[in-house]
Amino acid sequence: MNGLSFNIQVLFSGLAVGSIYALVSLGLVLIIRTTNVVNFAQGDFAMLGAYAMLTMFSVLRLPYFLSILLALVVMGIFGIAFNYGVYYPLRNRSYLPVLISTLGAAIFMQNTILALFGPQPAPLAKVFSSQGIEIGGVFLDSQYLVILGVTAAAVAFQYFLFEHTLLGKKLQATSQDKDMARLVGIRTAWMIAITFIYSAMLGGLAGILVGPILFVSTGMAGVIALKAFSSTVIGGFGDVTGAIVGGLLLGVVESFGAAYISVPYKDAFGFLLLFVFLLVRPQGIFGERIAEKA
Amino acid sequence: MPLLELRDVDSFYGSVQALKGLTLHVDEHEIVTLLGANGAGKSTTLRTISGLNTAARGEITFKGTRIDRLTPETIVRLGIAHVPEGRRIFPGLTVTENILLGASSRPGLKRSAMMDEVEQMFGIFPDLKRLEGALGWSLSGGQQQMLAVARGLMAQPRLLLLDEPSLGLAPIVVQALFAVIRQIRERGTTILLVEQNANMALSVADRGYVLETGSLTVEGSPKELLGNEDVRAAYLGGRREKPLTTSA
Amino acid sequence: MTPHGGASVSAFARLRSRIPAPVVPVLLALLVLPFVPFVHVLSSYALNIFMQASTFAVAVLGLAVVLGYTGQMNLAQAAFFGIGAYAVGLGTVAWGLSFWTALVVGVIASSAFGCVVGLTTIRLGGRYLAMITIACQQMFDFVMLNWVEFSRGPDGIAGIPRPSLFGHVLADDREYLLLCAVVLYAVIFALWWLPDTRLGRDMKAVRENELAAEVTGVHTLRVKVIAFTLSAALAGVGGAFYAAGFAYISPDNFNFARSIEFLTMALLGGSQSPFGAGIGTVLLILLPEWLRFLKQIYLAAYGLSVILIMVFMPEGIWGLLCAAWQRIAKPQRASAVEVPRLALDIATSDPAPILRVQDLKMHFGGLKAVDGVDLQVSRGTVHALIGPNGSGKTTTLNVLNGIYKPTSGRIFIESEDVTALAPHDRAARGVGRTFQNIRLFPALSALENVMVGAQRRNNPIRAGDAALRERALSALDFVGLLDQAGTEVKNLPYGHRRLVEIARALAGHPKLLFLDEPAAGLNLTEKGELVVLLRRLRAAHGLTIFLIEHDMKLIESVADRITVINFGKKIAEGTPAEVLRHPEVIAAYLGEPAHAAA
Repeated sequence: MNGLSFNIQVLFSGLAVGSIYALVSLGLVLIIRTTNVVNFAQGDFAMLGAYAMLTMFSVLRLPYFLSILLALVVMGIFGIAFNYGVYYPLRNRSYLPVLISTLGAAIFMQNTILALFGPQPAPLAKVFSSQGIEIGGVFLDSQYLVILGVTAAAVAFQYFLFEHTLLGKKLQATSQDKDMARLVGIRTAWMIAITFIYSAMLGGLAGILVGPILFVSTGMAGVIALKAFSSTVIGGFGDVTGAIVGGLLLGVVESFGAAYISVPYKDAFGFLLLFVFLLVRPQGIFGERIAEKA
Repeated sequence: MPLLELRDVDSFYGSVQALKGLTLHVDEHEIVTLLGANGAGKSTTLRTISGLNTAARGEITFKGTRIDRLTPETIVRLGIAHVPEGRRIFPGLTVTENILLGASSRPGLKRSAMMDEVEQMFGIFPDLKRLEGALGWSLSGGQQQMLAVARGLMAQPRLLLLDEPSLGLAPIVVQALFAVIRQIRERGTTILLVEQNANMALSVADRGYVLETGSLTVEGSPKELLGNEDVRAAYLGGRREKPLTTSA
Repeated sequence: MTPHGGASVSAFARLRSRIPAPVVPVLLALLVLPFVPFVHVLSSYALNIFMQASTFAVAVLGLAVVLGYTGQMNLAQAAFFGIGAYAVGLGTVAWGLSFWTALVVGVIASSAFGCVVGLTTIRLGGRYLAMITIACQQMFDFVMLNWVEFSRGPDGIAGIPRPSLFGHVLADDREYLLLCAVVLYAVIFALWWLPDTRLGRDMKAVRENELAAEVTGVHTLRVKVIAFTLSAALAGVGGAFYAAGFAYISPDNFNFARSIEFLTMALLGGSQSPFGAGIGTVLLILLPEWLRFLKQIYLAAYGLSVILIMVFMPEGIWGLLCAAWQRIAKPQRASAVEVPRLALDIATSDPAPILRVQDLKMHFGGLKAVDGVDLQVSRGTVHALIGPNGSGKTTTLNVLNGIYKPTSGRIFIESEDVTALAPHDRAARGVGRTFQNIRLFPALSALENVMVGAQRRNNPIRAGDAALRERALSALDFVGLLDQAGTEVKNLPYGHRRLVEIARALAGHPKLLFLDEPAAGLNLTEKGELVVLLRRLRAAHGLTIFLIEHDMKLIESVADRITVINFGKKIAEGTPAEVLRHPEVIAAYLGEPAHAAA
C-alpha cells in the first residue's frame, strides 16, 4: 500500500470513529445548551442503546432494522425517565449536585446492565454482512461506511430540525433564554424533555453503530463518555458545530497517532489533545470566552 | 370592571421585599405608566403580573380571573404579553423567527396565517422589514427594542406589559418608539408601561402611578404628575426651585 | 456549631466548648476501639475490613478537604491513593526502600500531582475541573496498566512487606490496625481543627462565594492549590498504608470506579465534616458485607444512592445529625463581651488623590460599557458615581476592583498603578468592597464572615488568632451586630446582612471603600442608619468612600462629590448641589421632554 492510500485509510477510520464521538457529543451539547447541565451519563446512553439492540436482535431475534427502531424507542423512553428522575428534581440547584447526580445515574446504569447481562463483551452484527469495499488500494469497512452515512444523515436531520421547523426554533429559544421563552408561551419543560429524549436517542444510535466494532460491554460507556467530553471541549463547550468538528478531529488525531506512533497508547493522544486545549484554549475552537459576572 | 387589578400585593426579589401592599388597576384601552427610580419595584411589578415572580401575598385579577398563582406560559395564553427589561430577543435567531415565536401562545395557527401576521408587524415596524433575515444579536439597541415589541404583539394580547423600553436608547429612537406605542393603543391593546423616563412616559399615558421602595406614593393624570414635586423627589430627591417642564 | 465569645479565651478551650457533652463518651469509645481486638478475638476477615475502612477513610478525608471545605470537585482521588500505594509497593518490593521512606516518596509524589491539578484551576473551575480530574484518573489507570516495565501492569505487585516500628515488624494484623487507627485519628483531629484556622476560613470562603472571597483578600488560587495538594497528600498516605496492609495491589484497585466510591462515601457521610467522611466510609464498606448476597445489585444501588443523596440530603448523614442536634439543643445565649473599639483611622494628610482613573475603557466585544472615563477621588471624601440604568456604573466599579481587566486606561491607588493587580492584591493594599446583591458566605457565622475580612494581607493588627477574632468582634460591634456574631448569615434578615458585609470590609482596615448600591433593599429607617454610618466613617476616621447609588436623597446626605455617567461616558461632575440641578443630568434621568413632532 503506498503512502497516500495508507494515509487515506487512516483518515477514513479516524473519521468513522470520530463520527461516533461526534454523535454522542452532539447529544451532550444539546443538553448543555438547553439546561446548562453537563451530563456525565451520556456515554451510558450509548451503552444502553447497544444493549437494547443486543436484546432485540440477538436475544429476541427480531429483524435487524426493526430491532434498531425498537432500541431507539427504548432510548426515547429512557430519555424521559432520565429527564424526570435525574434532572427535574435538581433543576434549580447549582451545577455541582446535578453533575454528581448524573455520575450516580451513570454508575446505576452500568451496574444494572452488568447485573442483567454479565461482564462478558458480546458481539453485535454489523448492518451489512459484507466486509466492505475497496477503492484504489483503500479498504472501506462497511460498518465504518454506515457510521459515516448515518452521522451525516443525523447531522442533516438536526440541521433541518433546527433551521426549518418551528419546534427546532422553540428548542433554540429555550436554550438561548429560558425565561423569555416561557414569556412568549413556549412550554420549556416539554422542550427540555424533548432535548433529553433526542440526546438519549442520539447516544443510543451511536452505541448501536459502534457495537459491532467495539463489542458490546459496560466498559463502552466510560470510554465513549470521555471521548465525547474531549470532543465537546475541543470543539467548543456548548457549540453544536464544535461538537461535530471536535469529534472528527479527535478521531483523526487518535487514528494517526495509532498508525504512526503506537497503537496501545492511542488513547493517550486523545488525552494530550484534551489537555492542550484545556490549558491553552479552554473555550475550544468555536466556543466563546468563559467569564463570570460580578 | 378593570382589565387588570392588583390588590395588596407583596412580592420578593430574592430575599428583598420589592413590593409592599401594592394596589393598582388598569382599565381597558388605557395606557397606564408606572414611574419611579431604579430599585423602586417597577420591574418586579411586571414580573409578578406575568408570573416570573410569585406574589407572596395579595391578589392579581385579569378579566375577572385570579392569575397570581399561574405560570408564565399560562398567563400569556390568557392574553397578557410581557416585553421584559433589556429587550431579551433571542440572539441566535433571525428577526422573522423572533417574531414568529411570539405567537407560540397561539397553537394551531397555520404557517401561512402566521407569515401574514408577520407582514402586518413589518407594517408597524418598517425598519424591521429590511432586517428580516438578520440575527438578533447583530441588531442595534433600538432595533432590538422594536423587535421585542413586535414579538410581544404577536401573542395578540389584551394587555401589553412594557418594561423600560427606552433603556439605553438614544433620544430620537425613543421618540419613534413612543410613536409606535401610541399606535398600538389605537389598535386596541391596553398597555401597562414601566419607565424611568418620566417625561416620555407621561406624554403617552392616560394615567400614572409613582412607586418608591415598593409602595405607591402618587397617582394621577399626566398633568397632575408632571407638576408634582413628589414625582421629582422620587427620582432626584429633595425639593427644587424649578418644576419639571412639560415641553421644550 | 461555631464558637464566639470573649476573644481572650484560649483556642483549646474554645475547641473543647464545641464538643457537646453527650458526644464525649462516644469519642472515648472510639479511642478505645482499636484496642478491642487484643482483648476479644476477631477473624482476620473482620480485621481486613477494618484495615480497608481506616485506609480508605484517610483518602475520603482528603476529599472532605478539597470538596467539603473548599468546594472543588476531585474525581481523581483514587489515582492519588494509587500513587501512594504504588510508591510503597514499588519502593519496598522493587527498590528496596523501607516502608517509611517509601511512604514519604509516595506522599511527595501524590502531593506534587495534586498541586498540578490545583494549578489548572487558574483558568478553569466547576465542571471543567470535574472533567480534568476524570481525565487525570483515566490517564493514571492507563499508565499503570500499560507501562508494564514500571508498574508491573495488570499483574500488580505482590509481597509488599509490613513496616517495622522501633525494630518490631508489624506482622500482626491487630498491631497494624492500631497503627492505621492512630494515623486516621490524627488526621481526623487535624481536619477537625482546620476549619477554625486562617486557612480553613479561607477555604470555606472560597467554597461559599469565590468572587467575594477574592475581593475580600483571599488568594483564591493559592487556597485551591493547597486544598488539592492536601487532598492528594492524604490520599497518598491512605494508599501507602493500604498497600502495606494488604500486601498486594493492582491497577484496578485505583480506578475511576474507586474514585466514585470515595466520592459517594464522602457525600453519604457528609463531605463538610471529618466525622461525616468517617461515617460514610464505614457505612459503605460494611454495607456490602451485610448485603454480600446482593453484590451485583449493590453496585447499581450505589449509583442510585448518589442521586438520592443529592436530592434529599446534600449534607449527608452528618448534616442530618447536626440539623437534628440544633433543633434539640438550647441555642447558645450570646454572652456579654467587652470588645475594644474598632480601629479605623486613616491618615488624610497627603493631598494627592487616593484614587485616580485615567481614560478607562471597558469594551465587551462591540458593547462599550465604559468609554473613556477620567476621575479623581480625594482622600477622606465620599464620592458618588451615579447614572441611569445601564450607564456603566457597576462595570466601572468592577474594573476599579480588579474583577475585570480594562480594555485600556489606568487605575492608580495611592499613586501606584494597580491596573494589572488581582482583586486580592488590591484588598491587601487597603481596598474594601461591598456588592449590590450582597455576597456573604452564607453557611458561615457573622463572626467568621467578618474574620475573613480581617485576615487580609497587610492588615495592621497583631499576629495571631486572638487578634483576628478581636478585630472581627470590634467590627461587628461597630455596625451594631455584636450579639449576632454566632448566627449563620443565611438566617439573618436582609438589612443585617448588609451590615455584616460592611463590617467584613471594615475589618480589613480599608483606606478606600467601594460600595455598590449599599442602600438597595433597605427601608427608610435602615437607610437613615446607613447615612449615619457613612458619615462617621468619613468624618471621624478618614476613610475614602466611593459609592454607586440610586437613592438621590441618600447621596445628597453623604456625598462630597458626584460623578454622573451615561452610556459609559462622564456627563457631569461636581458637588451634589451643582450636579443634581444640571439639565443634562435631569434629562438623563427623567428623559428628554416630549417633542410635538419627531
